[in-house]
Amino acid sequence: MNMIEASHLSRTYQRGDGTPVTALRDVSFVIAAGEFVVIRGASGSGKSSLLNILGCLDTPGSGSYRLAGEDVSALPDDARSHVRSKHVGFVFQSFNLLPRATAVENVELPALYTGASPDRARAQELLERVGLGARADHFATELSGGEQQRVAIARALMNDPPLLLADEPTGNLDSAAGESVMQLLTSLHEGGRTIVLVTHDEHVASFADREIVIRDGVIASDTVRRERRQA
Amino acid sequence: MNATRVIGSAWRSLARSKLRSFFMMLGVIVGVAALTALASVGEATRQETMRQFKRMLGTFDTLTVRPGAGSTRGMPSLGSVEPSLKFPDGPAIAAGVPGVKRVALVQQAFDLDVSYRDATTVPLVLGVSPNWADIRGEVVASGAHLSEEDDGSLARVTVIGADVARDLFHGENPLGKVIRIADVPFQVKGVMASRGAGPGGASLDNMLVIPVSTAAKRLFNRDYLTTLVVQLVDANASDRVAEDVRALLRERHRIIPPAQDDFTVGSPRATLAQITRVGSTLSKVVTGVAVIATLIGGAVIMSLMLIGVSERRREIGVRRAVGATRADVMQQFLVEAILISAFGGAVGILIGAGGATVGALLQKLPPAYMWSMIGGAVALSVAVGVIFGLYPAWKAANVDPIEALRS
Ligand SMILES: Nc1ncnc2c1ncn2[C@@H]1O[C@H](COP(=O)(O)OP(=O)(O)OP(=O)(O)O)[C@@H](O)[C@H]1O
Ligand SMILES: [Mg+2]
Repeated sequence: MNMIEASHLSRTYQRGDGTPVTALRDVSFVIAAGEFVVIRGASGSGKSSLLNILGCLDTPGSGSYRLAGEDVSALPDDARSHVRSKHVGFVFQSFNLLPRATAVENVELPALYTGASPDRARAQELLERVGLGARADHFATELSGGEQQRVAIARALMNDPPLLLADEPTGNLDSAAGESVMQLLTSLHEGGRTIVLVTHDEHVASFADREIVIRDGVIASDTVRRERRQA
Repeated sequence: MNATRVIGSAWRSLARSKLRSFFMMLGVIVGVAALTALASVGEATRQETMRQFKRMLGTFDTLTVRPGAGSTRGMPSLGSVEPSLKFPDGPAIAAGVPGVKRVALVQQAFDLDVSYRDATTVPLVLGVSPNWADIRGEVVASGAHLSEEDDGSLARVTVIGADVARDLFHGENPLGKVIRIADVPFQVKGVMASRGAGPGGASLDNMLVIPVSTAAKRLFNRDYLTTLVVQLVDANASDRVAEDVRALLRERHRIIPPAQDDFTVGSPRATLAQITRVGSTLSKVVTGVAVIATLIGGAVIMSLMLIGVSERRREIGVRRAVGATRADVMQQFLVEAILISAFGGAVGILIGAGGATVGALLQKLPPAYMWSMIGGAVALSVAVGVIFGLYPAWKAANVDPIEALRS
């Protein structure tokens, strides 16, 4: 099954002064379920713009986008919220934990918006899985960067989404912390999750099966880095 | 999201920035406290006014008939009233108007010197029919009330009020003593129990009563009355009875409309209602001020919430990214605003009710709480939360998550 089917995606922003900026131009590719794909490109090449569309935060100006078999390119705002809640886990460069909530409350957050009953036990279990079971009641501000990013990954897993999107997840971490985050993502990939990761870092890119390079909003190359590992 | 989780998470969010939450509440606390306190003090005062009138009138279940057209201002005195209300009008009303139980006749003057030995005082002097004391529920502290025989025999006897007893007798027993009312000697037959303060806090005990027949023939030499007190069988029928009394008196006084009546029928109950309405005009002004204070509190909530929304853009972005809809975000901020103002309202009510209690006790009044106003204050504070929370919540809901999450 294809997790992502992007065909002819374009995205144009309006600058403050009204001039248009085209961030993505006729981008097409398919990502199968279970792939680990890295997106690379120079600053301003359109990587984040693409990731936002893939994560249903943004809609393409033209083209179509199917996520897990469903065409989501023209869904209204509410419906896209529900798609994110169900299918997508986000990991950000700057972690984006809620500073006034504890680690376990942060992990639990996505479950607030599913209508299901609260599941503190699952949140705790996920924290243990990222090696932070003992830090459950610490506030986000009391954790190191690497720890915060691992909490953020646990949060991304809370609703058990099939797709993880990470925009420079190691960008703010030292190499040891970055390494442990990459190890975590690799193990999640091995567990069957589809991962799309944006990075500048060659070492980080080496964890992926496939590399898409973007230049000025178009796909410059799309290469297999290594044969897919069978889960 | 279910309600308890929404409220719980809003509560935690507020609890984690206590100082800001406190400032947001402050305006509502002040407004609602003022509203509650002022309304409750006003209510205590209104109830006290009612009690004062009740003490002055003895009973509300009466109509009063006075000579002259239009409502007489102040206390009528024999010297100054129109001589239109005659003695036979009383029995005629008692016999001729259904729903009338009894009618008391009153002649009054308040400019007569009353003396005993060297002491002189100028109390209210009332000539009253023997049924007067019973209609009003007057009690004698010592001695006896005026009787039918006293009235029939034009006896020069008097029952004096507590102030007169104090001013003339200085602790001496007044019973059996002879006092002079405008130089006419009267024997003290009884002393009335103290009635306390009337409207405005003036003493109701500076008065004495004598038989009305004696008053008419041996003191004033007047054959007209200053007041008829008409006791009703059923207080609720007072409008109809008043109309019947008017009709009867017009017939007796040969008044054919459009000629003006030479008497006025008043209802103490209606007068009181009017007085307490006047009181409530004042309380409306006071209420208005407190409402404005609460609204200012609302504006404070709004501006602090708007600051909060811009400070929490990243949080909003995160919530949206993990699946919150615009409505979820809107709801979260609205619930926070309502919690703030409702909590502020609750604190305000406690402070206001406490203040009202202290205020009433300082005035030596039994505390009273105007529950309708307190209910209104609760509703107002919730409404303030909704109204002033709406715009910031809408702002929050429309934060662009992509923009908010960009590092
Ligand atoms: N909201 C916006 N309004 C206007 N222009 C925008 C907006 N967002 C992005 N752009 C422009 O679109 C282009 C692509 O931006 P994008 O953020 O996708 O780049 P990127 O590849 O993620 O860069 P970086 O590596 O620096 O994060 C850039 O030229 C950027 O200035
Ligand atoms: Mg970027």
